[in-house]
Amino acid sequence: MTTFEEIRPVETRFRLDQEIMAGPIYRKYEKAARTVWDPKQLDYEPDAADWERMTEDQRAGIAMITVRFEAGEQEVTDELLPMLAAAHALGRFDWVMYISTFMQEEARHSQFFTLWHARVAGLLTPAEKAAYWPLREHTVDPHGRFKVGEPVYEGLPKYGKQLQNAVDSGDEVAIERAFVQFATLYCAWVEGVLTMPSYEIVIDTTELWDVLPTLRFGFRRILSDEGRHITFGTQSCRILIERNPAYAELVHKVIDEYRGNAVGMLEYQRNVPGLDLDKYQRQKVRHYLNRCREMGLTADDSLVAQILDPEIDFVVGVEAG
Amino acid sequence: MAALRWRCMEVGCDTVVTAPTDELLVEAVTAHAREAHDSYELEEVILAGAEDGTPDEEKI
Repeated sequence: MTTFEEIRPVETRFRLDQEIMAGPIYRKYEKAARTVWDPKQLDYEPDAADWERMTEDQRAGIAMITVRFEAGEQEVTDELLPMLAAAHALGRFDWVMYISTFMQEEARHSQFFTLWHARVAGLLTPAEKAAYWPLREHTVDPHGRFKVGEPVYEGLPKYGKQLQNAVDSGDEVAIERAFVQFATLYCAWVEGVLTMPSYEIVIDTTELWDVLPTLRFGFRRILSDEGRHITFGTQSCRILIERNPAYAELVHKVIDEYRGNAVGMLEYQRNVPGLDLDKYQRQKVRHYLNRCREMGLTADDSLVAQILDPEIDFVVGVEAG
Repeated sequence: MAALRWRCMEVGCDTVVTAPTDELLVEAVTAHAREAHDSYELEEVILAGAEDGTPDEEKI
């Protein structure tokens, strides 16, 4: 008769050791555990008063970004599970511990935006929020060279499904490949480059207009959390790429698939009055080069040149709603 | 003697920041990003991009 000890030796039941606890991913877990914040404890009254005083253009410019964030945070909360399953399948317990905080933080960000819309902007229903959502199809490259995709609503479910299928297959190489693709899209490209201008736009404009202190506070707290998400993704990719350098090509391919989303400013990012859009393009390049450095990869110079090329920009053809 | 070194990746900016500790590096890079680029670098990003420094590196 097989004993329980033979099925699962006692020594294998302990996952957390001193080496793991000294590592960079475990450190992120500890930091996340120390920096929990509660959106329900924030004071939304000053923002509500500001909202009443703001012009309709100012409100629309901000709301076009915040409704994207609310939905985006909910989407990523809901699409993160395959990454956790993959960390488990790869036997990386420090990654499992960290991703548990990552998921909770995305849920907290979802809560923050839902509360802010309800208490400040009076946006309660999906229809009220959708009225501030210009469709992605309305952003076009007038020269037809680039296509703007939906990395969050099309890409993450696609790569998440591939990752889950790899986990189900039990094939370690397949899991590692799919993990690199998912982490590249989610952490390095969406969180680490594409959404960065939106944070800066909200922080810059609310400072300039001296309004919405709670929204600005929330964005800063979210950015602090995102810093861990981004660098978890890039550091875990680096670990896997160092094991198998062929994975580097996967990173470039995923980014190339959504190259169009970086070469111009998107519809919801260009409606705030008075912005210097070139500043945010330059910063996208800096963020991209940071991600490459963190992953130990050589940057794609043609992508950098295209992001900075003033001849490449998009037009927005149709108003929101 | 600086123990940590961080290079700014903004296009056209070759600034290298050096500092003896994580905390001082984050403080110095944050100040550089704000003053030179009207922007920010996230703490975790700064630490992830930091390398061991050498004493003769340019300092700010």
